[in-house]
Amino acid sequence: MSSHKNPGARNLFFVIIFAIVIFTLGAVLDPYNQGQLAVVSMLLIGVLSVTLLTGTSGQISLGQGALMAVGGYASALTILNLGLSMWLALAIAIIVSAMAGLLLGFAAARLTGPYLAGTTLVLALALPSLANRFESVFGGDVGLNVDFGNPPSWLISAFGEIGYEQWQLYATVPLTCLALLATANILSSRTGRMWRAIRDNESAASLMGVNVSTNKIFTFVVSSGFAGLSGALYGLRGIVGPSVYPISLSLLLLTGAILGGLRSIAGALIGSALVVFLPDFIDWATKPLALSEQIGNYLPGLIGGLLLLVTVVLNPGGISGALRRHK
Amino acid sequence: MLEIRSVVASYGSVVALKDISFTAEIGKITTVIGANGAGKSTLLRLISGLEVATSGAIHWQGESLLGKSPESIVRMGVAHVPEGHAVIAPLTVAENIEMGALFRRRSNKDDVKLAIGEVYELFPRLEERKNQLAGTLSGGERQMLAISRALVSRPSLLLLDEPSLGLAPLVVEQIIETIKALCISTGLTVLLVEQNANTALSVADHGVLLSLGSVVADQPAPLMRADSALRSAYLGY
Amino acid sequence: MNTLITTLFLGTTRGAVFALVALGLVLVWRGAGIVNFAQMGQAMFSTYVASTLIIKGYGYWFAFLIALVVGAILGAIVDLAVMRPLTRRSHAGILASESMRATVPVIASLGILGVLQSLAGMIWAAEERGFPTPVSDVAVKAFGKTAPFTKFDLFIIVVVALTLVVTTLFFKKTGMGLAMRATALNPEVARLSGIRISRVRTLSWAISGVASSLAGLLITPSANLSPNTLDLILIVGFTAAVVGGLDSLPGSVVGGFILGLLIAVINVYVSPDDVFLALLVFLLLVLILKPGGLFASKKVRNV
Repeated sequence: MSSHKNPGARNLFFVIIFAIVIFTLGAVLDPYNQGQLAVVSMLLIGVLSVTLLTGTSGQISLGQGALMAVGGYASALTILNLGLSMWLALAIAIIVSAMAGLLLGFAAARLTGPYLAGTTLVLALALPSLANRFESVFGGDVGLNVDFGNPPSWLISAFGEIGYEQWQLYATVPLTCLALLATANILSSRTGRMWRAIRDNESAASLMGVNVSTNKIFTFVVSSGFAGLSGALYGLRGIVGPSVYPISLSLLLLTGAILGGLRSIAGALIGSALVVFLPDFIDWATKPLALSEQIGNYLPGLIGGLLLLVTVVLNPGGISGALRRHK
Repeated sequence: MLEIRSVVASYGSVVALKDISFTAEIGKITTVIGANGAGKSTLLRLISGLEVATSGAIHWQGESLLGKSPESIVRMGVAHVPEGHAVIAPLTVAENIEMGALFRRRSNKDDVKLAIGEVYELFPRLEERKNQLAGTLSGGERQMLAISRALVSRPSLLLLDEPSLGLAPLVVEQIIETIKALCISTGLTVLLVEQNANTALSVADHGVLLSLGSVVADQPAPLMRADSALRSAYLGY
Repeated sequence: MNTLITTLFLGTTRGAVFALVALGLVLVWRGAGIVNFAQMGQAMFSTYVASTLIIKGYGYWFAFLIALVVGAILGAIVDLAVMRPLTRRSHAGILASESMRATVPVIASLGILGVLQSLAGMIWAAEERGFPTPVSDVAVKAFGKTAPFTKFDLFIIVVVALTLVVTTLFFKKTGMGLAMRATALNPEVARLSGIRISRVRTLSWAISGVASSLAGLLITPSANLSPNTLDLILIVGFTAAVVGGLDSLPGSVVGGFILGLLIAVINVYVSPDDVFLALLVFLLLVLILKPGGLFASKKVRNV
């Protein structure tokens, strides 16, 4: 990312390639995998929120899933109660979760390490109970029903019949591209440099004139916006409810970010694809072994946990970190 | 004896010690002096194992200390009193002293009791304050405590890092005299790092002068003390 | 009035268990500088082992003992296999950053939790099991009246009280206890005193494992045993430890009781759904107003 080339143009180029690849894949895959790819695109935005918050500014959060829920509920309520279009609802979801991130930032920006982790964990557990508290609004345990709706007619006339999963994918990818571009720009900007300085050595950064607390809060705001968008899209698959955003969702995002590589967009890409397709891959790879349902259910969790451990102990930079070292 | 041979200590781009060599004789006090930043503390930390030398050799009584953990080096008879009254404030005086003898308790239970008794004899003020928290002691008492902790391990080599820091001259004198007496009675070898070159050279047998990580003088203490050219060039007096 | 007394007793017995959990967390925090989010996963695992032994016909107390041993071994394994290699890594690459070095052990403990839960699910089929109590589980009757607690509640209190006494004696009166305190307070001086701090750390992990297994054995009868039952207990234990001050063993115990009472009151007088919300508010209040814990000394801790 030298100052000679134009980083903005370069980022745009890669994102366009990404979009083309996904669209092409989307056209040829079966519906199940189209749906999976859509989930990858949705979760990628959430993983990027971890890349920004943890990888770039060094703040660990176990509550990104809760922020996804905020976005999900915001968009669902907008569509159901205000009758607005899906796209407006998504924009509102981003704003609402960014505001939640602001509140979270005020509370959390002073905390570090395990204190921050524990507090965000409690948040992730407390938020779903809010949904049960105000059942009439949030639909309690059952949740709210929303979906992507039908693909617009101009798209159908251009590409022919579009399946439901395919539409999910096509609707998500432009937003994913925006998220990728935004992340790339932040990472290469002065803001990104300040966040990295805070991550590496807070006191040194403060001595260099970086306003640590403001930047930390800002990171929460931005990453929460990302998480909210991710959660809103995730909920549009059919339901927004506490069971859709369990605590394991936060851990899933974190795992994806770590396995793929905490500090880079490539890492987020690799990680998102990994966490979505790994269970499918394990299923397929162990089919000849005819494992019992009991073992089959827990095998992805076991392998995921082991991968996380191995990564963190042997290769904390994740897959993209390792690739970069061997360049 | 303590043999330091061609020791280099570098951390990234900073080179703290550039090829240091000297020896310290058994039963004698060798003092390492020099201005701040000369690398004196680093040297002690290399010997006690808290830091690892980049290259070179460190031998005590013929055995190499390089690459060994501090815990094993202590068991070889080397005790290090780091600078700044290294005591653990929330523990009592008695606990701080006991701590130094923990590793010997299984093999030499009776001698440990003896050693603790001897240290209380050396520093009766500590026995008076046995059950007080170490954090409530005065600077001088804390230094005595730190040294006591080292002494109960019955070391054969004692590394003292700036024991006079922040202490009244009278207190420093008392401590140094105690150490000196120990050298004579038990053959304890002492490596004394000091900022206060005058005091150090008046009690030591041998002096090593460090400047910016290199040895610039290595001679018997009285000679170094008398060398006014050396003193004004490196020690500022 | 009756409700209040029942609530207080409930709060005290639950609080006793939370105190154990908090104790375990603080032991590892002080001994190794890490908050072990996998702690109750370890407890779940050893409780499953005990449950399996009981189902196979072994006596309660034998299973109890084995569970404690398994807890100690699991704790030691976590330290030896994961935490030690982690701290030994050079400060290069991603670990050159301060905050990453603090974050990585947290993630490692989450990984361990995931592995333990998956293993438990695979081995013991995530169907919920009960877990027996060694003493009667019905309300105590004395002097013709029914007391608001059961023999098992008394059992819990007695066991926890005993544990606290033993722990205090261990730390104040034994050489190893002194070594552990020294290692936690000043590792460098401890090393220079000849204390093998890595062994001491592993022991902290093992003792913490025993404490958390004990907590699991005590609280499981009133919940059902499944790979996820004890997750939420960790959160309460963590909050208790923070409230009492992460650096303080006695503080964590007091924190446990405070939280036990708080949760009992919320459960009975407000609504069970609000427990986590109350936890969150309480945690945030403590972290904002008294970050070192309610019993923090003059030295304000950097959280």
